[in-house]
Amino acid sequence: MPTRKLIAAGFQELDRAKSFLQDPQLKGIDEDALVSCMHDAPNPDQALLLLIRLLERAPSVTELFTTEDGSCHRAVPLMRLLGGSQALGEFLIRHPEQTDVLFQEQPAAEPAETSAEELRQRLMGAVVADPSAAFPVAGLDENFSAKDAGRALRIAYRREITRLALRDLTAADPAGYLPAAARQLADAAAAAIDSALAVSRAELSERRPEVAEIELAVIGMGKCGARELNYISDVDVVFVHRAPEEMDPAQAREAAISLASGISKVLGASDGESALWEVDANLRPEGKDGPLSRTLESHREYYHRWASGWEFQALLKARPVAGSMALGAEYMEAIEPLVWQAASREGFVEDVQAMRRRVFANIPLREADRELKLGRGGLRDIEFTVQLLQLVHGRVDEQIRVRDTLSAIEALGTGEYISSRDQEAMSRCYKQLRLYEHRIQMADMRRTHLMPKKEEALRALASAVQAPGARRRPSPDDVLQQRQQVVREVSQFHETIFYRPLLSTTAVLSEDEVRLSAEAVGDRLAALGFSDPRSALRHIEALTSGVSRKATLQKRILPMMLGWFAEGVDPDNGLLAFRRLSESLGTSPWYLTMLRDSSVAAERLCQLLTSSRFISDMLEHRPESAQWLGEDESLLPRGFEALWTEVQNALQRHEGAGQTAVRLARLVRQREMLRTAIAEACGLITQHEAGLALAEADRVAVLGALRVAEEELAETEGRHAELLVVAMGRQGGREISYGSDMDAMFVHRAVPGAEKSAADAQAQKLALRLTQLLSKPVKPAIRGEIPLQVDADLRPEGKRGPLSRSLESFQEYYRRWMDIWERQALLRARPIAGSDWLSVDFMELVDDIRYSQAPTAQQLREIRRIKARVESERLPRGADPARHVKLGRGGLSDVEWLIQLFQLQYAHQHPELRGTATLQVLQGLVDAQLLPGEDAETLKEAWQLCTRVRSGIMVWSAKPADVLPSSRRDLEAVSRWCGFDSGQAAAFEEHYLRTTRHARQVYEEHFYQD
Amino acid sequence: MDRQQEFVLRTIEERDVRFVRLWFSDVVGALKSVALAPAEVEGAFAEGLGFDGSSIEGLSRVFESDMLLKPDPSSFQILPWRGEEEPTARMFCDILTPDQEPAAGDPRFVLRRQLDAAASMGFTCYTHPEIEFYLLNSEELDDEGSPIPADRAGYFDHSTGSVAQDLRRHTVNMLEAVGISVEFSHNEVGPGQNEIDLRYADALTTADNIITFRTIVKEVALSHGKYATFMPKPFSEHPGSGMHTHFSLFEGDTNAFYAPNAEFNLSTTARQFIAGVLTHAPEFSAITNQFVNSYKRLWGGGEAPSHLSWGHNNRSALIRVPLYKPTKGGSARVEFRGIDSAANPYLAYAMVIGAGLKGIQEGYELQEHVTEDVWGLTTAERKALGLKPLPGTLHDAIRQMEDSELVAEVLGEQVYENFLRNKRQEWDEYRVNVSPFEINKYLGMI
Repeated sequence: MPTRKLIAAGFQELDRAKSFLQDPQLKGIDEDALVSCMHDAPNPDQALLLLIRLLERAPSVTELFTTEDGSCHRAVPLMRLLGGSQALGEFLIRHPEQTDVLFQEQPAAEPAETSAEELRQRLMGAVVADPSAAFPVAGLDENFSAKDAGRALRIAYRREITRLALRDLTAADPAGYLPAAARQLADAAAAAIDSALAVSRAELSERRPEVAEIELAVIGMGKCGARELNYISDVDVVFVHRAPEEMDPAQAREAAISLASGISKVLGASDGESALWEVDANLRPEGKDGPLSRTLESHREYYHRWASGWEFQALLKARPVAGSMALGAEYMEAIEPLVWQAASREGFVEDVQAMRRRVFANIPLREADRELKLGRGGLRDIEFTVQLLQLVHGRVDEQIRVRDTLSAIEALGTGEYISSRDQEAMSRCYKQLRLYEHRIQMADMRRTHLMPKKEEALRALASAVQAPGARRRPSPDDVLQQRQQVVREVSQFHETIFYRPLLSTTAVLSEDEVRLSAEAVGDRLAALGFSDPRSALRHIEALTSGVSRKATLQKRILPMMLGWFAEGVDPDNGLLAFRRLSESLGTSPWYLTMLRDSSVAAERLCQLLTSSRFISDMLEHRPESAQWLGEDESLLPRGFEALWTEVQNALQRHEGAGQTAVRLARLVRQREMLRTAIAEACGLITQHEAGLALAEADRVAVLGALRVAEEELAETEGRHAELLVVAMGRQGGREISYGSDMDAMFVHRAVPGAEKSAADAQAQKLALRLTQLLSKPVKPAIRGEIPLQVDADLRPEGKRGPLSRSLESFQEYYRRWMDIWERQALLRARPIAGSDWLSVDFMELVDDIRYSQAPTAQQLREIRRIKARVESERLPRGADPARHVKLGRGGLSDVEWLIQLFQLQYAHQHPELRGTATLQVLQGLVDAQLLPGEDAETLKEAWQLCTRVRSGIMVWSAKPADVLPSSRRDLEAVSRWCGFDSGQAAAFEEHYLRTTRHARQVYEEHFYQD
Repeated sequence: MDRQQEFVLRTIEERDVRFVRLWFSDVVGALKSVALAPAEVEGAFAEGLGFDGSSIEGLSRVFESDMLLKPDPSSFQILPWRGEEEPTARMFCDILTPDQEPAAGDPRFVLRRQLDAAASMGFTCYTHPEIEFYLLNSEELDDEGSPIPADRAGYFDHSTGSVAQDLRRHTVNMLEAVGISVEFSHNEVGPGQNEIDLRYADALTTADNIITFRTIVKEVALSHGKYATFMPKPFSEHPGSGMHTHFSLFEGDTNAFYAPNAEFNLSTTARQFIAGVLTHAPEFSAITNQFVNSYKRLWGGGEAPSHLSWGHNNRSALIRVPLYKPTKGGSARVEFRGIDSAANPYLAYAMVIGAGLKGIQEGYELQEHVTEDVWGLTTAERKALGLKPLPGTLHDAIRQMEDSELVAEVLGEQVYENFLRNKRQEWDEYRVNVSPFEINKYLGMI
């Protein structure tokens, strides 16, 4: 035998094959013919060995190889079987008398299908029961015990499975034969249960005569109920019984339970022939805690009153499969209507969402890439989409109330809930995936849904899923690629099939797309979590009607976006905001291109619009900003230099028209605020970077306004004073949030040659004009602006003092009058606009003061007292201190005051404590060994969290607030902004309270200690 | 509508119940009650009953006062003392926020959450309390400002025909009528003092039962013209009222505290549980002994345990491992003797169980058991044995609780905060009060 031929036939172990071919058992078989029919064996090495062992036990099988024309075509089914299923090959070797089945089955391109009745006859025959009897009873006697009957039944069942496998493996269109195979598997399982019942009844009746009178029906659930069973799988069932009226109900139930558990015993025994599969009755009412069998009345009662949502879902697939068919039919009649009433129950949306989560949950499956059933692109994905559509639309449309997945796909197509194209694709993919599953399970008759890992097994699978007679044996890569293709296709289904048709009420659709009624669309939207489906429908209509390029494009992307909206905190508002945005953007070419080409941009947009009123409002006024979403680069902060250059250019262009120039500067500030918010929401920049970016934007606006104010006054009265703007508080530390105002002080100095009094007067005007330019309304109005409010109350003497003071006046004041809190306030002073020289001189003064000797004991006491007073007085009446992010327990002010207290005491010795940014100084405290690292970490965490919550509230609601929200929805939004998963609001709340409490502990430990 | 709810509605119809009281407890464990007409019950099941939570101690944040009461139908009982004229029933409630989430400030939720935590470790918690209380002649005080006990029977005395005897029998009948099994009842040592043991049940049921029990005892006493008090220490010279509670953990149907060949048949789990409770007891004293008066019981002698110790059948230890028949492995348990009768049972049980579980999780080492009578030891001896004291005053206890991460974790941040606030306020009130003791002692002194 030439090696080439062996290789062509698919042998891997050639030496072994050669020696096997010499085996005496093969005598009389033409070697060439044998090897050529091995070509069709999925695993020829395995097939050859099994064949030799089989011939040893059943020599008559040789006849299959001796045909007149010298070919071995009659043996092809056997070789497919031996190469495709070790388990069934072993079965024939174990029971050589069963090999006659090989002669009964002829290779056929379109294999036959054994009817359910035939299967029942055969298996009933195996236990010598009369299938036509009302209650069939196995014919047991002293030579044929219940054990013998059970064994005979299991052998007969396997014989039928072998027969089926022979047909299945020779089908010219394996995927086409799949529904028939799945049906026969379910029918064989049903027949086995029925015959096992006959055995159980016969055995029990001997000892307990009342059992003979019990009528028992077995209702198949799951895949058995839907007649779409796998080769090997648990069979889900529910039992119903009925007893003659005179029998005591308790006794009857007892008898029924014995009968029912007898079934599992017969099928699960393994003497003489191994066990078949588990009969799983856990879907019964009350699950494991409920009685194994109930009367019809009790079932009815249960489903009427107590059953919960998922139990009805399980009933979608129920069907009487064994035992009394009359009782089974009555059961169905009683229960079926309840199933569809159930779908209109409360909690339906939650159920659907839970289902969605379960199917697409990112379960860290180790074997995810080999999984056929779970995850995206798996069988469950298809089944889920189909069941979801059935649940959503089956309430009104009886036509789609069918049990098995493939029929359901067809019914959905016929009912025009999915397009004929999608129907075809879904059906094809489902069959293909199931075919893999069947072949994999058949190999060892093991319950598995994983693609094989070993090359050898993959090679066998590749051949097994093909029809026999192919010229070339497929390679493992072929099957992997083919499957990848299917998985990709399947993962699209949910979007195209569930979401796309939501557009169909108005959108002009192509011929092969389905058109849903408005009611059907409403049902689906509600199922997605839109609380006002009617308005949502209106928005969808507005977005997709017409034939413009925009409408066409939105038709294409909206289905996907609806899914994203549904995941957000507020889908309704998201959709509305999207509509507004789309309307104001009109036909901007970049907008459409971006949405079409960048799914990142579209997903981001959905996420922003459902989670932030701040951003959606701003986007409405500055729609062109949506352009940034497509590229991360343009979302990053622009940097001070770039912004200032832009504003300077504007000032130059509009020289003499100060108002116009300032307006441009304010527009720049607003634009940067939006950019920063989007970048932070998308996780592109840290909170720290966001604070910096916002501070720079404010600074640019102040610089611009100051320049204009100076020019205006110089024009009318000449130039007498130079002004310096010094940022204080969080502005000084560059750690502000969205819409923060600006604490500031103004310092001035007379320009050379100017009168001091004139300079003083002009400085006041300058400062006043500056604040006006920044905050007064301008024409044309800047829509949606949060103007920068300058708050100069921290200046010496507060509101009573002059708005701006000269440098000398500051010196004088600080020397004579300064309170310790004023020194504390100076810790965060940072010059941001005005004369550089003045800045140098003023900061020299400030540094001298803020970093001078440690405060006296009395001053320390003073600070602590002020802090205590702030806590009790500034907190709004009725506010819960534990939830106030700014003034509350462990909030921003606790952390900042503590750090500042350290600065006052030690900054003159430790240069690393000199700075205006909270976290930087905090690190300095650790470096200077003034604060344990652990404590610093606690403070840092709380400070960051509070800052984040504050910005989160603003971003979510577009309204500034300092209290942790308590309504669940608001809290949910803030919690997601802070990085918690959806649905974790309660955990987040607990986290917040704990973090701040810890910070308060640290604060109390250090703040009051000398 | 589920099966339990339907049962409730049906019973209301059949027994012609006129009022249904919804019961819940505030942070200190005082019973709060709202009456419903039978017609409103169905709605309360479906949507809960709105009420203003801000009026209840420690329940909600002031600005978020709308809360919902959700009756727990499995706790439905006809109240026997209301008579047949106008039958009244009660149900315990869970408290929900307007979003239908459990209110973090609900003590019942605190215990539920702790039991869930235990369940996730595979344990079911059973408790069995022995509740002591005093029967007084009335609420009125005598001339010296002391309460007057209802009788003067001693421990185990069978005072025939005494009021207390009748009253106790009546109480026991009532308790049985509301489905609370009573195990044993006898006179405790103080005059007028009584003890009734509730049969062991899962911890949540027991806590509900304790609340019911207190109410019934008070109602029955009133109907006999007497007054019952659960105050921890009403008499300086007589023992206080404790609520010794036996705890056991089951894994499935096996008692996790039982190990046949170990010392005292105590399993490692039991030893770690005890270690957990002993380690954290000072931190949660403010919960198990929540009033100023509680500390007078702890430190006033008379069988009250004041030091962190455990022993085998040692009545002076804080934790006692009772003797039981070796054949009865299922009844292995440990008795925590620190809780007093005025504790909020939900919070107290949540804390003891929480501390015990912590011991199990972290594998705490158990200190040596004591065989001596702890009360009889001198301070130096206690020091030598390493027996640390429980907090001496409520103030002490508050301080220790403030530093406890475990208590914050078990109670949840909100109850923790509310509870502390409530207790600080109590301490402040107490501190400014000038007591008769001070008047007697100092007025004439100088």
